[in-house]
Amino acid sequence: MNHVLHSPRNPSRSGALRRAALWTCASGALLAACKGDSKPAGTPPTPARTPAPPISALEVRAVSGDLSKPDPEAPYWAEVPAGQVALTAQAMVTPRSAKTMTEAIEVAAAHDGKYIAFRLSWPDRDKSEAGRLGQYSDAAAIQFAVKDVATTPVMMGAPDQPVHIFHWRAQYQRDAEQGKPTMAQLYPHMSIDMYPMEFKEAKGGTPEQQEQFSPGRAEGNPQSYEKTGVDEIIAEGISTSAVQAGHSGAAKGTWKDGWWTLVITRPLAVEGGSVLKAGAETGVAFAVWQGGEEEVGSRKSIMMSWLPTKVL
Amino acid sequence: MPKVSNWQIGRDCEYPYDGHRPARQWSIIFDLNKCIACQTCTLACKTTWTSGKGQEYMFWNNVETKPWGGYPLAWDLRILEQLGRQDWGANGEYLGKTLVEAAPENERVLHYAPVDEDWMYPNIGEDDCGGGTVDGGMHQASLPHDQWFFYLPRTCAHCTYPACLAACPRKAIYKREEDGIVLIDQSRCKGYGECVRACPYKKSMYNPHTRTSEKCIGCYPAVEQGIQPQCVVNCIGKIRVMGFINPPAKARADNPIDYLVHEKGLALPYYPQLGLEPNIYYIPPIHADRDYLRQMFGPRVEDAIEAYRKLPEDPRASGLLCLIGSTDRIMHRFDVKKGMAYGYDEAGAEIVRVPVTEDVIVRAPFDAKLGASRHNTP
Ligand code: SF4
Ligand code: SF4
Ligand code: SF4
Repeated sequence: MNHVLHSPRNPSRSGALRRAALWTCASGALLAACKGDSKPAGTPPTPARTPAPPISALEVRAVSGDLSKPDPEAPYWAEVPAGQVALTAQAMVTPRSAKTMTEAIEVAAAHDGKYIAFRLSWPDRDKSEAGRLGQYSDAAAIQFAVKDVATTPVMMGAPDQPVHIFHWRAQYQRDAEQGKPTMAQLYPHMSIDMYPMEFKEAKGGTPEQQEQFSPGRAEGNPQSYEKTGVDEIIAEGISTSAVQAGHSGAAKGTWKDGWWTLVITRPLAVEGGSVLKAGAETGVAFAVWQGGEEEVGSRKSIMMSWLPTKVL
Repeated sequence: MPKVSNWQIGRDCEYPYDGHRPARQWSIIFDLNKCIACQTCTLACKTTWTSGKGQEYMFWNNVETKPWGGYPLAWDLRILEQLGRQDWGANGEYLGKTLVEAAPENERVLHYAPVDEDWMYPNIGEDDCGGGTVDGGMHQASLPHDQWFFYLPRTCAHCTYPACLAACPRKAIYKREEDGIVLIDQSRCKGYGECVRACPYKKSMYNPHTRTSEKCIGCYPAVEQGIQPQCVVNCIGKIRVMGFINPPAKARADNPIDYLVHEKGLALPYYPQLGLEPNIYYIPPIHADRDYLRQMFGPRVEDAIEAYRKLPEDPRASGLLCLIGSTDRIMHRFDVKKGMAYGYDEAGAEIVRVPVTEDVIVRAPFDAKLGASRHNTP
């Protein structure tokens, strides 16, 4: 199978539509009340579990099974040892977390000759799926080097030293499972008289005209569309990450008893991204965000160096 | 960290990026003595820009009632109380710290994060003299201070040193070279909300539908055509004028904004001590509490009020105030001669003229020609 990455549709709208919008005074959409449901009550304390032994390198064993579907409960995970990797709060750029929120992550990896799957587990008191203002999502990412891992900076790469990232968010997974939440789902008690071109009796306007009232969508920002669970990103340095279309990866996370268990799977070879080969040595790096602790963007726990990785 | 020059606080201050002034700087002046909180500006902006999904609570322009109202709630108190002492020296130099200078080591600016509930009461306290029920009496009578208030209309200040831009780790916020308007790139924003946390004026807002942050765009499509923003041209009280401001050393006496801010000292930036060099300016309300005004507008507020009181003796300044609200076009220059005030566009063409003092016409109560009495009630 050939997986090719390309930049998503990013139509740059002409100023004309915006100007038209300026002079077309659409109907006011006024808020009467928008009280939402409060956060669920505190979750039970994290039960003790035997930690995996620390590792300084990762072995990716071959297993039999279809690894193209992410499955945290698949039987082949019993054949693969898990190891623990230390994380620390991202410290290179501000804004950053005041302290490390995720101190370690447990990692196991397997491949089936075509796909490679990583199973990550880490403790997180609350399941956070974001949605409303000031709510952030639990998230994790796996990073690969597009070129030589030995020269690619582990912190988001560098110009001409790109990194290839699979970024899962609980929020994105919720999209994939239940659809992108509507405003009425996010704010059940909100009342609104009408949205432009979406009057109760008569829907009007083309989808493109309706998008003019959602700037992120009008600009083709992938952030503003329903997600498939995991974003595929190419970055060449801090503040340069760009979501790619193509979605060669897939992810599935489950939260139980104060722990996330997440599987991110990807083809071994992604054209335009990173290419992993059986028998070859490479490196991976992980990052974790605790949404409940307001971690997002540069506020995250990361690895300070690549984890040497051998695909057996 | 680089130092940038900030004339509003009379000294250099820290900023994460090198100082750079755009070719022109968008600016609005508001005469707070004339605002009536009709909210026409708020609705002009709302109907133009923020009627879509996820913008239900969003008012890029808002008008709040000071001292108690705020949108979001207590935005001013919450940042001021974190900042600590904010003293000014005798020479107009700010002695305290700016938000960037006071930032904890893991942050770019000192800030607080508003929550949903904070944005839910945009009109709180407006004309709210009652005590709840009719028999509750006047709660104004029980306030712990003299009875005064004023209306404060606010847009994004398109700051010279924006906190929103400083805080964005994705560098998705930029300041336009041609007019200094600060924009969030809607194709790159990932909705981290760092700007929502960082802007002390709370003029960057989160849209949960697009999952991006959005803010006042200074009506740039209008400005590009030489037209003032929607919230300005629709102002019922004619209290606002938009134009371009120069730093003091380059001030031009025939530029309406420079004249009111630099030449006359009539209009002042709000909370200049935060260090962002905000570009919305206020003619202070002359009847409000002076200590409060000094906190909000800095030490030059007494002079501004003095200048305002002398306006009747100042035909040039009062002529300019008559031009405000009399044209939709951006005035680059103005002049007052022989009782008339004139506004000119960038090319120097006249776009508006108004009399400084309008003729008073007294009409007799009885119209003999029509044989009818004149009433002003139907
Ligand atoms: S339209 Fe003008 S007078 Fe009315 S609230 Fe806005 S600024 Fe004040
Ligand atoms: S007022 Fe706030 S949102 Fe506007 S430019 Fe300044 S810091 Fe940014
Ligand atoms: S300048 Fe334009 S976008 Fe900004 S508050 Fe005024 S009307 Fe709204």
